[in-house]
Amino acid sequence: MALSHTPGEAPRNPGPSWGYRFLRTADRALPEALFRPLRGAGTWVAVATLPRQRRCSRAYLRLVLDRKPSLADVHRHFFAVCEALMLRLRVANGHPHLCLLERGAGDFSGWLKSERPVFLGTFHIGNSDLTGFMLVGQENKRVHLVRLRVGNSHDTEALASRFGDRLRFVWVNEPGELLFALKEAAGGKDAVALQCDRPDHSARTEDFDFLGARRVFPFTIYHLALIFGRPVLLSFGVPLGPDRSVVHASPAFEPVEGEPRDVALDRARRHFQEFLRRVEAHLRANPFQWLNFIPL
Amino acid sequence: MADPLTARLKLLIVETLRLEDVAPADIPDSEPLIGGGLSLDSIDALELVVRLEKEFGIKIASSEEARSALASVAGLAAYIRERADPTRLPS
Repeated sequence: MALSHTPGEAPRNPGPSWGYRFLRTADRALPEALFRPLRGAGTWVAVATLPRQRRCSRAYLRLVLDRKPSLADVHRHFFAVCEALMLRLRVANGHPHLCLLERGAGDFSGWLKSERPVFLGTFHIGNSDLTGFMLVGQENKRVHLVRLRVGNSHDTEALASRFGDRLRFVWVNEPGELLFALKEAAGGKDAVALQCDRPDHSARTEDFDFLGARRVFPFTIYHLALIFGRPVLLSFGVPLGPDRSVVHASPAFEPVEGEPRDVALDRARRHFQEFLRRVEAHLRANPFQWLNFIPL
Repeated sequence: MADPLTARLKLLIVETLRLEDVAPADIPDSEPLIGGGLSLDSIDALELVVRLEKEFGIKIASSEEARSALASVAGLAAYIRERADPTRLPS
């Protein structure tokens, strides 16, 4: 498995170096009735000590809630991240979790049953990180995940260790071999998953309508699809009770051989915008599931 | 008279990357392809490498090799000449 970790390298997920170990130990040792309020208190510490993330949370919540967010709203937003992380740690420890596909996701369902390689576009919403891993564990798909390597990604590493070589990583912030790692991944039969909501480290970006304005999103996935002649499926996973997630997925964007590139890219833009509308509708109904704390 | 492989490569670059305002003859033999006057980025480089591999049956196996291969059109021609089956080269 192409996964290793260099201690102390930047960037890091926020939080103390002992945070993951503490969460795992406390989860084993404390009853949930006690541990959950403790996580809530810890989240207040995070709200107080992470001003940049707090500003981004407020800016996002103001747009999605259509009102000035309260401090309790910001705490709830931070707490959603904490709970998504807890669930990942629990699943990594063997906690059972079932991933279901929404009705109507015919193309995604078709891909699950096929051997066809695809590009999977993912979003940091709800349980999306987890459902990506569940595709590998539950559906036996082979996936290359294009991810930002952070210095303390223990939750990712622990989850990945469950799936052996069915899950491989292409690190986007190690540019030396990125293109060739991508070429190798995309030239084979495995799916390649790229995040589609954080423009950092994306070679190509474009503006789309989202939460009332034109905002920048990664668009590299469609260029890769056209280069390698593979379809794009976009998805995000959200909680369906404590032990289940449901995956919402787009129809496939299919490259057409011989289609002029500008025509294909226009089709791609419409495909992405259509799915972003679904993302926005979901977030309007579930505002705290947006797990991004970056400027919109 | 222009080297047929060099001429073929210039045409391939223009076609593959859809450089509408660049004629093949405008591409200098010795200018860097990435980060030079053509303003190509990493996705362009990837697309070009994929096309070159298909066209000449070669395998560019690492970014180090790609940097060396894409140093210039002349460098690319030399790289391909060394590795490709001669029957796939233009005459």
